[in-house]
Amino acid sequence: MASDPYNSAVRQRFANPLHAGDLQAGYPDVVTARARDSDAGVALTLAAELDGTVIRRLRYRVFGCPHLVAAAEEICGRFEGKTAADLQQFPLTPLMELLDVPVEKTGRLLLLEDAVQSLARDILAREPS
Amino acid sequence: MSERRSGGPIYLDNAATTPIDPAVAAAICRCLSDERVPGNPASIHVLGRASRELVERARRQLGDLLHVDPRTLVFTSGATESDNLAIVGAARLRSHRGRHLVTMPTEHKAVTDTFAALERQGFGVTWLEPDRDGILPIADLEAAIRDDTQLVSIMHVNNETGVMQDIQEIGECCRRSDVLFHCDAAQSVGKLPVDLSALPVDLMSLTAHKIYGPQGIGALYLADRPSCRIQPLLHGGGQERRLRPGTLAVHQILGFGEAAVIASERRSEDFRHLERLHDRLWNGIRNVEGIRRNGSANASFPGILNVSVDGIEGESLMLALEALGPEPICVASGSACNSQSGEPSYVLRALGLDDRLAQSAIRFSFGRFTRESDVDAAISAYTNAVRHLRKIMPMKAA
Repeated sequence: MASDPYNSAVRQRFANPLHAGDLQAGYPDVVTARARDSDAGVALTLAAELDGTVIRRLRYRVFGCPHLVAAAEEICGRFEGKTAADLQQFPLTPLMELLDVPVEKTGRLLLLEDAVQSLARDILAREPS
Repeated sequence: MSERRSGGPIYLDNAATTPIDPAVAAAICRCLSDERVPGNPASIHVLGRASRELVERARRQLGDLLHVDPRTLVFTSGATESDNLAIVGAARLRSHRGRHLVTMPTEHKAVTDTFAALERQGFGVTWLEPDRDGILPIADLEAAIRDDTQLVSIMHVNNETGVMQDIQEIGECCRRSDVLFHCDAAQSVGKLPVDLSALPVDLMSLTAHKIYGPQGIGALYLADRPSCRIQPLLHGGGQERRLRPGTLAVHQILGFGEAAVIASERRSEDFRHLERLHDRLWNGIRNVEGIRRNGSANASFPGILNVSVDGIEGESLMLALEALGPEPICVASGSACNSQSGEPSYVLRALGLDDRLAQSAIRFSFGRFTRESDVDAAISAYTNAVRHLRKIMPMKAA
């Protein structure tokens, strides 16, 4: 049998998308970041609900492949309860290793990284210095 | 009818290949284990002649299915080789008369890639677009044929959408202009009535593994007319009227013949079975939000149902169908035949679907051994998969 393109980490997160969904846009404690690559047919939205400097809830919507869905699920699960500064330190390479992302899908994960960095910047821009 | 083991994958990818009929498998096994027929059918000794008789019996069985003289059939390795042999062989032999060819972009890759290769060799190719239902407008074909046109190649049943072309009308159009007509009938022979004694078809590609026969064996029909000669692609022996040299695979050819006999006996019953399964599936999923069927609803082979759903990404849909239900559902994606490239189906794009809808397409294809409970499982899996992905995917896609 040909090798399975999805490892157990991808399958588990894809089957249990606990952080998929929306947060009410427009509320003062909700920050949203979007990224898309129309050529690749990929789009994603990240939404953070803040409690002061802490990310209380993190949600995603993804139009993309199972690897991207699993990556978004992992990011949202990992950074709830953390700060935007933590989010900025998000390391892409270990995530790609965890999910065994094929090299041809690297661009999709970079899109996720763009959205994460954009979200972190927007949150930090709101925080009082 | 064999029973599928409970808990195993549900196979709805019969357009890719059909499971071998148990009677065919038994015949092949008997052949392989029969020490009286080890001979090369090209050998003239008694054991060679015994093998030869098995080959010729299979040729007669296939000829009976198609209503043709068995001598018009040349065994090949499958429909891809038959397509190549017919198209390249005819184009080269007739190139001194003209170098213009006609086909459609919705043909199987075995045809489109062969025409593209001929284009690179200096042949001119007219690619006729289908209408939104996938049908070739016959007036477009008539307009495309020129004085230097030598060959038209149009498939009978499309392998992705199930859309059926009117090969009677296409063939008559070609005959009026003295142009050869090649038809890839890999998806139709043995499933639809194909009477080559009446159809104006000059060259037809066939394969065994779409009619419950073994993989790796096919045939090319060449009408018994002087104009239907072709050049061989291979050289090295006199087998198959020198058109396809190489030692014949006796056990596979025998299996092809057995499959043809069964197909002939069961065709009407099989067809009604496919119609029931097709209607059961479509009625079960037609109310899924954003769904659409691809290809003509009126001129389609019922063994194939191709659907797209708005706002759902195809690769994720395939995994959801495989992984989220109690049993994996084996279907083809909108990148069918391109499944390793991940590119949206060129066939569906030619029907006017945008990349997003084409990429979300799923091809369900049924067969003799598909059960109604398989279809019910697919309905449940598909609706659950779309529901699952709606939680993840934005309704407005990329």
